Amino acid sequence: MAGTEHDQVEETLKRIEANKYVIGTIVVNAEGIPIRTTLDNSTTVVYAQLLRHLTMKARNTVRDLDPQNDICFLRMQTKKHNILVAPENNFLLIVIQKHVNSLRTFP
Amino acid sequence: MFTDEAQEPVSIRSAWRTSQQSAQDSIGCQTRAVHSAEAEVQTLSTAVSWTQTQPHDEAQEQLLQPAADRLDPPGLKAFLQRVEDTVIRELDRNGRSHAFDEFQVNWEDQSQPVSCLHCLQHPSAQERGLHVTSVSWSCTGSVIACAFGRTDDGDWITEPSCVCTWNLDRRGLNPKQADLVIDVATAVTALCCHPQQPALITGGLYSGEVVVWDTSRTQDPVLVQTGMSADSHREPVYQVAWVPLQKAGEFGVLSACSGGRVLLWTGDLNEGRFVLNAAYALVPQQVPHSSYVSFKARGSSTVGVTSLALSPWDPDTFLVGSEGGLLLRCSFSSQTPAAVPSEGHNVTLRAPAVFVFRPRSGPVHSIHCSPFHRNLFVSAGTDGRAHLHSLLQADPLLSLRVSDSSVFQVQWSPSRPLVFAAAAAQGEVHIFDLGRRSLRPAATIEQGGADQAATCLAFNSQNSHLLALGRTNGTVCIWQLSHDLTEQSPREISQLEQIANQVAA
Repeated sequence: MAGTEHDQVEETLKRIEANKYVIGTIVVNAEGIPIRTTLDNSTTVVYAQLLRHLTMKARNTVRDLDPQNDICFLRMQTKKHNILVAPENNFLLIVIQKHVNSLRTFP
Repeated sequence: MFTDEAQEPVSIRSAWRTSQQSAQDSIGCQTRAVHSAEAEVQTLSTAVSWTQTQPHDEAQEQLLQPAADRLDPPGLKAFLQRVEDTVIRELDRNGRSHAFDEFQVNWEDQSQPVSCLHCLQHPSAQERGLHVTSVSWSCTGSVIACAFGRTDDGDWITEPSCVCTWNLDRRGLNPKQADLVIDVATAVTALCCHPQQPALITGGLYSGEVVVWDTSRTQDPVLVQTGMSADSHREPVYQVAWVPLQKAGEFGVLSACSGGRVLLWTGDLNEGRFVLNAAYALVPQQVPHSSYVSFKARGSSTVGVTSLALSPWDPDTFLVGSEGGLLLRCSFSSQTPAAVPSEGHNVTLRAPAVFVFRPRSGPVHSIHCSPFHRNLFVSAGTDGRAHLHSLLQADPLLSLRVSDSSVFQVQWSPSRPLVFAAAAAQGEVHIFDLGRRSLRPAATIEQGGADQAATCLAFNSQNSHLLALGRTNGTVCIWQLSHDLTEQSPREISQLEQIANQVAA
């Protein structure tokens, strides 16, 4: 059963990654250690650490404003791409997506 | 009955006040002499060893990538199933969303469009009345090199001039004193810094020589020079440029003079001389015919070259502007021999002209190829207009009026595809933004009148907000451009494509 569970996990992640313009995906566990990633390791570690702090801060902000409210989803639009974070108690799913009208600059 | 009496004074000893002076004796001390002894040590045997780090093994990073047979953390599957829908929905929505399309956040302060940072002068050159003929930034973006000479004299001048460099990132920057002054025997008419090595600068002289200076050498900065051989130019060299050669990392120097020759040199460092690699000669008879070029060969048998531009996209193409107003596209690999009498050159002269654009009425002072589009270039001359051309057609795509007098230099901005700057003879510098609706300049640098004509300008490709401007009064001003003029906005590349595609079928 563990085999098929693993397959389902992989399949789900592949569905997410297959979306247009996705640059990379990272799954982070409760301790902040990345357990799945499609980017290189140094970038992954940095993203995991920073976004975990940011997500906790965002969650605390929402709960402080209204104790019965909670954060569902966090999306940051930066100059270069979009960062989407789906937070949970145990895990964190980070997806980095390119802008649709991406800039082409002189190399 | 009253008489004067003299009495003895009476003194009463104090009962409590005693002398505070205590006993006092003096002691001296002296340190004993320090013992010192000398000893020598000599190694008798030596051993050499070294270490080398192993290349990082990708296979060792498995801490983060669990092997397929290891168990996933419990709950991972459930978590992913819960969030999958949300994430995919958000990804799709992002793909379709047009929110924030034109929104550009500006974290820096919105100040005036241009502000003068430094005004650099070389007093001895100013005393002699020399003008700044050319400025060039080094490849690191922190050093500005300026060439002094004359832009108005037609006669042969033998006045010595100089090349000065200032390092703007140094703390002790003194605007009145250059960091490095290289004395040159004649006026320097062109200057170009090496695109990869910050210490090398090449310059073209009024006498026709081409020199490379190495600023890292303290004694004699001249590294290579052409000397007055049969190969070299006889007329003032108006433009020099570094050209990447076949071998990666090697550069040659391309020089163009008003005698109609364009020569490609490679440096022979051992001898300190330049070796001619290829030579091109432009003669009116060999200019390709088109419906516009209807002039017959006049008395002059050469097409004097006043400006030169290399295309960063196509290593074979270069553009040439002449004294008579011709604008030509040339090719390095052209094999047609030139119709000039051979003057004892070691290399056969070739005719490089491939295509002629619509000619102008006066000398073309400046051409620059766009770093963002392979077909576009801008040119300017004495008619006071800046013309935007495409390599594919002879007529200009756009002509912008810059000033009433002649325009000495135009250059595209290295960071914004639609922006270029033009320096005019009346002293003002206009910065045009093609993305704007109106054809008036986006920003103007005004300073002084005709006695302070702006002769040359250069954008700094590393720090794109800096612009250097050389004037005929011998000063070089460094201007800082605002955020608007240096930050690329999202649709600029596509706007530039649209302009370039206006080529008539």
